[in-house]
Amino acid sequence: MDILISGLLLGGTYALIAMGLTLQYGVARIMNLANGEVLVIGALTAFLVYTSLAVSPLVTVLVIAPLAFAASWLVYRILLLPLVRRAKNQGQLEVDSILATFGMGFFLVGGMVFIYPELFAYSYLAVPVDLAGTTVAANRLVAFGGAVLIGLALYLWLNRTRAGLAVRAVAVSPLAAGLVGINVEKTSALAFAIGGMITAMGGVLISTFITLDPSFGVIFTMKALIIVIMGGVGDIRGAIVAALILGVVETAVATLIDPGLTLAAAYTIFLLVLLFRPEGLFGRRPA
Amino acid sequence: MLEIRNLTVTYGLHKALQGVSLTAEKGEVVVILGANGAGKSSLLRAIAGISEGDVAGDVTLAGASLRSLGADRIVEQGIAFVPEGRGIFGDLSVWENLMLGAYPERARARRKQNLERVVSLFPKLAQRRGQTVRTMSGGEQQMVAIGRAIMSNPDILMLDEPSLGLSPLLCRDLFENLSKIRETGIGVLLVEQNAKQSLAMADRGYLIENGRITGEGQADALLSDPAVQKAYLGGV
Repeated sequence: MDILISGLLLGGTYALIAMGLTLQYGVARIMNLANGEVLVIGALTAFLVYTSLAVSPLVTVLVIAPLAFAASWLVYRILLLPLVRRAKNQGQLEVDSILATFGMGFFLVGGMVFIYPELFAYSYLAVPVDLAGTTVAANRLVAFGGAVLIGLALYLWLNRTRAGLAVRAVAVSPLAAGLVGINVEKTSALAFAIGGMITAMGGVLISTFITLDPSFGVIFTMKALIIVIMGGVGDIRGAIVAALILGVVETAVATLIDPGLTLAAAYTIFLLVLLFRPEGLFGRRPA
Repeated sequence: MLEIRNLTVTYGLHKALQGVSLTAEKGEVVVILGANGAGKSSLLRAIAGISEGDVAGDVTLAGASLRSLGADRIVEQGIAFVPEGRGIFGDLSVWENLMLGAYPERARARRKQNLERVVSLFPKLAQRRGQTVRTMSGGEQQMVAIGRAIMSNPDILMLDEPSLGLSPLLCRDLFENLSKIRETGIGVLLVEQNAKQSLAMADRGYLIENGRITGEGQADALLSDPAVQKAYLGGV
C-alpha cells in the first residue's frame, strides 16, 4: 500500500514531464532530447528563488510558465523551424532534431553548471501527512496536486478550444490539417512551446522533494522517453497510465530491492515494451 | 474562376508538368483525364499548395494569386482539396472531421448551412457521427473526405481520383453526388482514370499526357472523340 501510494504520487509528476515531451514529439514532430534539461532549469530556478528570496515554489511555478513558454517558442522558431522546413521526410527531421536538441542540452547543462555547479535541494513542506494509513511528505502531495491540475487544464484546452482542436488535428495528420486551413507551422510552434512550459513547471514541482544536479536532465529525458513510447506516441492518456506504472515500479524496486536499481527497472520495462508491444500500451499497430 | 496559366512542376531534374493552362468555373464539373504518372496529381497538389516539387507559373482564383501561399491560406481563398488517400483525420470521429473542415475563417459563419448540405448529400454521416473514421469502409471514408471539404465552404472543390478503390455501385453514387455538389454552385475539378463515368457527368474535360495538356473540350465531344475512345475508353 505504501509503495502504491508513493509510486502513484511520483508517477503523477512523471506524467507531467511526459506530457511535455509527447506534445513536442507527437504534434511538432520534434524529438526533444533537451527536455530533461528544461525540467532541471525549472527546478534550479525554484531552488534559487526559494533559497535567496524565500519565494514559494507554488509562486515560481506560475512565474516560470510564461517564461518557459516564450523561451521554447523562440527555440522552435529560431533553431528548429529551419530544420522542419528543409526536412524532406519525417526520418530526416527526427535525425536533425535529435542532434540539434542533444547539442542544446549540453549548452543548457553548461549554463546551469556555470550558475550552480553542485547538488541542490531545499526543504519545502517536508512535513509528514497521513494518507489512507500511509505516511507521505506534504510536498509530494502538493506536487501531485499541481500535476493533476496542470494535466486537467491541458486536457480541457486540447478538447474544448479551437487552438486545442488544431493541435490535435496536426497530431493526427499535418497534411490534412493544412487542407482544413490550419497553419501547421504556427500550431507546431504552439505545441512545442506548451510542451516546454509544462516540462519546466514539472521541474519546479519535482524540485520540492528530489535532490538534483545540473547534469541530471538526461535521466529525466530518458524517463520521459520511456513513458511516451510505453504509452504510445502522441497519446496523452497512454502517457499518464505509463507514467503511473513507472512511478509504482520504481518505488517498488527502490523499497523492496535497492534504490540504486530504479533506473535499471525503468529500462527493463522499456525493453519489455519495445520487445512485446513496440507501438505502446495504447498505440495503434501500423496497418 | 480558377485559372492556371503556364504551370510547371519539377522534381529535381524531372519535369512532372510543363506549361499547363486550364480554367474551372463555379458551378461546373471539369475532369482531367490521364494515365498513371501523366502529372495529374502533381497539378492538383501544386494548386493546393502541398507540392513537394518546384512550382512555376500562375494560379489565380477570381483574379487573386494563389502561388506561394501555404496550403492553409489557399483553403481560406476558397479551394478545398481531397487528395489521393483522402486527407482525413483517421483517428478522429466523423463529427470532429466535419468540424475541422469548418476550421477556416471563411467557413465559420456558414457552418450550419454547409453541415445541412453535407447531411443531405450523405445522410449516413449524421447517423455515424461518433464513429472513428479509420474504422469505416472506403466508400464511407470518401464521404467523410468530401463532406470535410464542403464544410470549408469552397468555391472550387478539387478531388484526386475519388473513384479509386470504390466498387462500381459506389462509383455511380460518387459521380451522382459530385453532380449534386455542382448544383449547389461549387465548381468541381477532378482528375480521374475512370473516363467513361466521369465524362458522362462532367461539363468539360482536359487530356493530359507526359505533363502536357494534349486535348480539351466539352465532355460530350470528348466522349465521342475516336482518339479519346481509343486512349481512355478501351477503344469502343
